[in-house]
Amino acid sequence: MQLLDIRNLTLELETPDGLVRAVDRVSLTLKEGEIRGLVGESGSGKSLIAKAIMGVLHQRWKISADRFNWCGQDLLRLPYQQQRQIISRDIAMIYQEPSRSMDPTATVGEQLAESIPDHLLEGSWWQRGYYRKKRALALLHKVGIRDHTVLSSYPYQLSEGLCQKIMIAMAIAKSPKLLIADEPTTALESTTQAQLFRLLASFNQLKGTSILLISHELETVARNTDTLSVLYCGQLVEAGDTATLLKHPLHPYTHALIQSVPEFQPELGFKQQLYALHGSIPTLQHLPIGCRLGPRCPNARKECVKTPVIERQQNHFYSCHFPMTGKSSHE
Amino acid sequence: MSSLIEVRQLCKTYQKALGLFRHKQVLALQNLSFQLDAGQTLAIVGETGSGKSTLAKILVGIEQADSGEVLLAGKKHDCANYQSNNHLIRYIFQDAARSLNPNQKIADILHDVLRYSTVLSFEQREQKISQTLKLLGLLNEHGNYYPHMFSGGQLQRVALARALILDPKVLILDEALTALDPSLRAQIVNLLLDLQQKTGLAYLLITNQLRLVRHIADQTLVLHQGQSLDYGPTQQVFEQPQHDYSRKLIKSIQF
Amino acid sequence: MKKIRLYYEEHNKGPMKLLWQHFAPQHFAFFGLIALLVLVSLALITPVLTPHDPYLQNSQLLLLAPSWQESGLVSYPLGTDDLGRDLMSRLMLGTSYTFGLAILAVLGSLLIGLILGCLSGMSKGVKSSIFNHLLDLALTIPSLLLAIVIVAVLGPGLINTIWAIMLALLPQFVHGIRNAIMQQLKLDYVTAYRLDGANNRQLLFSVILPNIWEQLVLMGTMALSTAVLDIAALGFLGIGAQSPTPEWGSMIADSLDAIYLAPWTVALPGLLIFTTVLAINLVGDGLRVAMKKRREN
Repeated sequence: MQLLDIRNLTLELETPDGLVRAVDRVSLTLKEGEIRGLVGESGSGKSLIAKAIMGVLHQRWKISADRFNWCGQDLLRLPYQQQRQIISRDIAMIYQEPSRSMDPTATVGEQLAESIPDHLLEGSWWQRGYYRKKRALALLHKVGIRDHTVLSSYPYQLSEGLCQKIMIAMAIAKSPKLLIADEPTTALESTTQAQLFRLLASFNQLKGTSILLISHELETVARNTDTLSVLYCGQLVEAGDTATLLKHPLHPYTHALIQSVPEFQPELGFKQQLYALHGSIPTLQHLPIGCRLGPRCPNARKECVKTPVIERQQNHFYSCHFPMTGKSSHE
Repeated sequence: MSSLIEVRQLCKTYQKALGLFRHKQVLALQNLSFQLDAGQTLAIVGETGSGKSTLAKILVGIEQADSGEVLLAGKKHDCANYQSNNHLIRYIFQDAARSLNPNQKIADILHDVLRYSTVLSFEQREQKISQTLKLLGLLNEHGNYYPHMFSGGQLQRVALARALILDPKVLILDEALTALDPSLRAQIVNLLLDLQQKTGLAYLLITNQLRLVRHIADQTLVLHQGQSLDYGPTQQVFEQPQHDYSRKLIKSIQF
Repeated sequence: MKKIRLYYEEHNKGPMKLLWQHFAPQHFAFFGLIALLVLVSLALITPVLTPHDPYLQNSQLLLLAPSWQESGLVSYPLGTDDLGRDLMSRLMLGTSYTFGLAILAVLGSLLIGLILGCLSGMSKGVKSSIFNHLLDLALTIPSLLLAIVIVAVLGPGLINTIWAIMLALLPQFVHGIRNAIMQQLKLDYVTAYRLDGANNRQLLFSVILPNIWEQLVLMGTMALSTAVLDIAALGFLGIGAQSPTPEWGSMIADSLDAIYLAPWTVALPGLLIFTTVLAINLVGDGLRVAMKKRREN
């Protein structure tokens, strides 16, 4: 069943220099039980899209989309209260710096207990407190924390990895259908990163929670996701199954991303130069017209001043006038 | 042949105050030893609290080691004398934007560096500055810009220019590549490799990104709570880690 | 030959121009700045501009009404006081006493505070604390009372009140400067400078002071409003400016007995004091907002 169906989402902002289109007609779909990766560097608008799904974008952003369906219901047409109700019931999000995303003045136990919704507690109202604490403890066990002293500590006393696990516990307290993870592992050590991804994968398998994993590192996303969407400067560049995408990237940007990771190229010699696109990511005020990769793309030609439409090749979506066909980069 | 930098039995402990009168000894570094040759890259891997930043600070002169010595081409070297040490070892900060004075133009920053540590005349300084900027792919006109006018990647180059203008032999990169986007990181890595080949610079890469380490580091040292667990050629450390901790670390990036 | 601009960069303005870019659109702050500039120029060039001699007493025209009332004369635009002196000339000259001397007091205090603050900020431990708290004794007494005490010792007069106000403002400056310097010392670029081989003195002058001058200006504007009010208050009490000095506060005190006959002699100096303090506060506020906006960008 299609959980999330977004078509041609556009996010615009009014700035002193004019109307800026931070996200330009991005489409995203998510099925039940799917782990989707959203890869993009800084300025690609991936965090904005996550915030738009959660409905927490600042009011000065103008959201427009052809379709913005959650389980068949169009969220943009619903009144605000209903929107919030649906989103708070079904979608949860975890953030990049966990210790900064938690209330520093409350203990972890209090915050965890607070995040458990009322309707999931059994018992009459005077027993609620006791059941709440019991559930909080159960949640901690689910994320793999055996040490009960964590409940009475404050966020600053705990390590980042522990904080991130607690954030996941708070997120799954209401059994959401979708978990959006916005760069959850950038602040963590590599051992904790592996633990975290195992945890997310276990939730996906056992409870069927869909996960939208947002990251700027291709390596982390490539190994832990089923499908992948690649963004550049607010435009959707390529989307499809992770394995196919890595083996046969059709867009030059995806190709460059894959090539810039030494791990995906076993033939690359030690200390050899990595493939890198020249130039740098354009700022919001100076976005190129048409395909935004134009100035940096090695294949760029005259037609690239027109934004390419999304084309489809067997579940593999790409938007490029001159895709790279027949190029195999990863075995 | 004697290596460029050799560190022998470096020890450092910190006093952490626990309450009003008690102190706790924190062992930042315990008997750390390693060698670094010219044109080679040594990667120091370890989690926060393992002593990586302490090591960087000692090598650059901000902190003093309690015991142990730093040898330069076989002779004992005093890292605390900034003006002589910075001709040998230079430091790149993690956040390039924060490491540049926001109220000064780039050319003025570079002039100041040369003025404090060398005795060149004004024309010689100008020449050196334009040479260094060219080496890093920047233009002379960039010297008239303030730091907030640059993009992220260009700022890293400016920070590199400031480090390399004194022609050092060793560059310490303290998590300098961690916060960059992948395409930018690839560009900077290419630049660093290029410089290493052209000028024989040695790099001391302090990082947690093991994939990058595998690609560009000749030797790897795994640091855990101040102790060096595994030290040797990168391939050897990755294929035959001796300690449990290193094994766990390396397994976390395997397929 | 004009410099050729090869690259179109978005932020091609230096930090000062950026600050002005954020300051100018704030209308109140901008008008405050204009008012301040007018006052400063008045304070500097008044002796040449006054229509009449501020000290000349004219016994024919005592308590003349302002020119917009029926009994007033245009040649005396704001009327005269109880000794026949032209009010407008006295008010204009008063700018250099109330406002000008306040600026001098703040500048002097800033200078001494800078010396002590730098000594305190660049050293560590006990030495730093000694410099920091050296003048904290001046915090025990409110500034007005301190001025009275000093005047009691040294005798009344404008110069003595300036010393008193400077002493009262000093501890705030020392603390503020020391905190600003300590904050700067923790930053990355200061460490980078040290690694480049700068010694303490070069560090202070090249890096730290240029980066904290904006905070200094902010502290200065706050202190300036206090100084203006203190000078006026002391003048009103009679222990500051002595007559016939046309200081605004003492003008109010002198004309207080005739308030029912000639209210403008009390209202106009008061209005000017109010305008001055308002302008200073508007500029200070605008500066703070501009600095915050610039940092956010």
